[in-house]
Amino acid sequence: MTGSHAVFGQEAKDAAELVVDIINNELGGIKSLCGAKIQLVVQDSGETPDDARLAAERLISTEHPVIVIGAYISRNTAAVAEVTEREKVILVMDGLVDDLTKQGWQYVFRAAPKASAHGATAAKFVIEMAQQKGLTINSAVILNEDSIFGTYVGDGAKMELLRNGIHVAAHITYPYDITDFSSIINQIKSINPDIIISVPYFNDGVLFAKAVQQAGLHPMFIAGAGGCGYTDPDSIQAAGDAVLYYTNTYSYNFARPTQWNQKIVNEFKQRYGKIPTEAGGIIFYSMFTIYAALEKAGEMFPNDPLNPDNLKQAFLALDLTDDNSIAAQLYPSGHIKFGPDGDNLYAEATVAQVQEINGTLKPVIVWPDAEPGVQPIFPRPDWQGAD
Amino acid sequence: MIDPALITNNLIDGVLMGLLYSLVALGLSLVFGLMDIINFAHGDFVMIAAYTTWVIAMMLYVDPSVTAIITVPLFFVIGLAIYKIIIEPILGAEPLIQIAVTVGLGYVLQNLALAYFRAGPRSFPAPWFNYSIQIGPIGIAVSKLIAAAVSLASLFIINYMLVNTKFGLAVRATSANREVAPLMGINVRKVFAITFGLGIALTALGAALYMMWGQTNPYLGQSFSLLSWVIVAMGGLGGVMGVLYSGLIVGVLEALGSTFVSPSARLAVVYLAFFFILWFRPRGLFGRR
Repeated sequence: MTGSHAVFGQEAKDAAELVVDIINNELGGIKSLCGAKIQLVVQDSGETPDDARLAAERLISTEHPVIVIGAYISRNTAAVAEVTEREKVILVMDGLVDDLTKQGWQYVFRAAPKASAHGATAAKFVIEMAQQKGLTINSAVILNEDSIFGTYVGDGAKMELLRNGIHVAAHITYPYDITDFSSIINQIKSINPDIIISVPYFNDGVLFAKAVQQAGLHPMFIAGAGGCGYTDPDSIQAAGDAVLYYTNTYSYNFARPTQWNQKIVNEFKQRYGKIPTEAGGIIFYSMFTIYAALEKAGEMFPNDPLNPDNLKQAFLALDLTDDNSIAAQLYPSGHIKFGPDGDNLYAEATVAQVQEINGTLKPVIVWPDAEPGVQPIFPRPDWQGAD
Repeated sequence: MIDPALITNNLIDGVLMGLLYSLVALGLSLVFGLMDIINFAHGDFVMIAAYTTWVIAMMLYVDPSVTAIITVPLFFVIGLAIYKIIIEPILGAEPLIQIAVTVGLGYVLQNLALAYFRAGPRSFPAPWFNYSIQIGPIGIAVSKLIAAAVSLASLFIINYMLVNTKFGLAVRATSANREVAPLMGINVRKVFAITFGLGIALTALGAALYMMWGQTNPYLGQSFSLLSWVIVAMGGLGGVMGVLYSGLIVGVLEALGSTFVSPSARLAVVYLAFFFILWFRPRGLFGRR
């Protein structure tokens, strides 16, 4: 909750406190554990992997937690996992890089859609929209920052496009501190693709959208994947109508019309005065997944439910759907079931689009469950048709 | 085969960006050439100036380029104050102390920006010149064309000032021999202060031009710092023209690196060329010392 990612940490903490209050006060604690209450201990994971590793050591040695949840930034999550794995403590991760579940770690779980799933979701959305409108996508350009997260998201999009027979004309990477997109825009213009899928962080997203507008580039569609740019309020304020009709994928859908999702969103708004975003949303369903796993552990292993190996079995035994759980009602696909590597087999992201509503640019959820009264706008209205 | 139009477009962008880089690096070159102060916070002044540009542009809702009317004199005064409070006490100190002070100043500026503006992007959402001139397959971004023209004009004005005015003579005399200059009636401290103020004012002009299409964040200065240092070292303190030519070389190398290798490798191409140049000309392309 300190450093340049503090904004994410603060929202995650707010979300966790809300969920723990609901579990302990409204749901009566963990019923299979005789109504045991969850005690939330918050530890600042700092800015660097070293900070995160030290924080995990301190947390485990002083508080002896049964389950740890965190640490959003993937490199910090990996540092925490090294400690939790050694100490045999379950770690529910909200970092998204694919590698986190490929390390052979035995006590890690992740409900959130991994990075490549974000890329795949962006591609699926564009393909489905084109099919609905009777349009053919012949070529695509993929664009991502050259970090490990950006690379996984970009690769996820590429695989999905190739699987659907779409030619990926170029996969362009760029450094995080890019200050000018001219050469990349020139390259894209020379390719003239039907669609562009890009992985936007805040700064590069603003620069890219403005450069596209300046160059007069009008593809069929520009879809964001992962990252946090284009559709967030800061990016909309900074880029203005340059980001109109851009989409981006999210690990959480605040507009999903299930009973518990609406309840949580409303309570979060009442308590903190804003709509929960990605960082809070992942915590919502991850915390309620922990709640379900603790219930399951109490049922499966009444004599030793908190033993890490028993807890692990309980997590693996979960099959959460809208009908049987709160967690799934908060999840974009409505289904959480963990595979042997700890990743959710039904991971799916959701798509938000910047639209002009009553004269104001706003992000709205358009896919797979669109907000009431909202339709995805596809193709871009300024697309001049296939050449 | 790479499309000739793509190469031409990228080369034009490289030249336009190179002129802006020259403008930003000129302030660093003037201060270093005159005072032997290595200002590692130079890029962070660009960042703070970019935030100031953004605040004024949002308040008045005018294009960021227009804010230069306010930010350039403002940053000249800020430069004078920074000189008096921070730089003057370390004149003549060990290089290590000067480096520590200016690096520390850069971190202070970064963290102030982070605390006040947070890490999100800040950019003017309705720039006036966010369009291109299209000539066949060649597209020229109007905002960059304006930035390049203003940068070039500013470089020539400062060159004229250094060559043809009494103040310019004082700067050159002080740069040539700091001990003898006072004997000729030159107020060296005053020359230092004005030159430092001018260097900081140039960062404000560069930031106002960059914000026509760019965005700022607390770490923007790092990119400009590194490029400015490469330009100054490549130019070898060869005056305004040395900075101009070095900036153009850096801009074009970036464009070529992006075209023929990868956008991720564009700086690697610049630095490789920089190493080669220093290998054959250790004093830089236009070096005097």
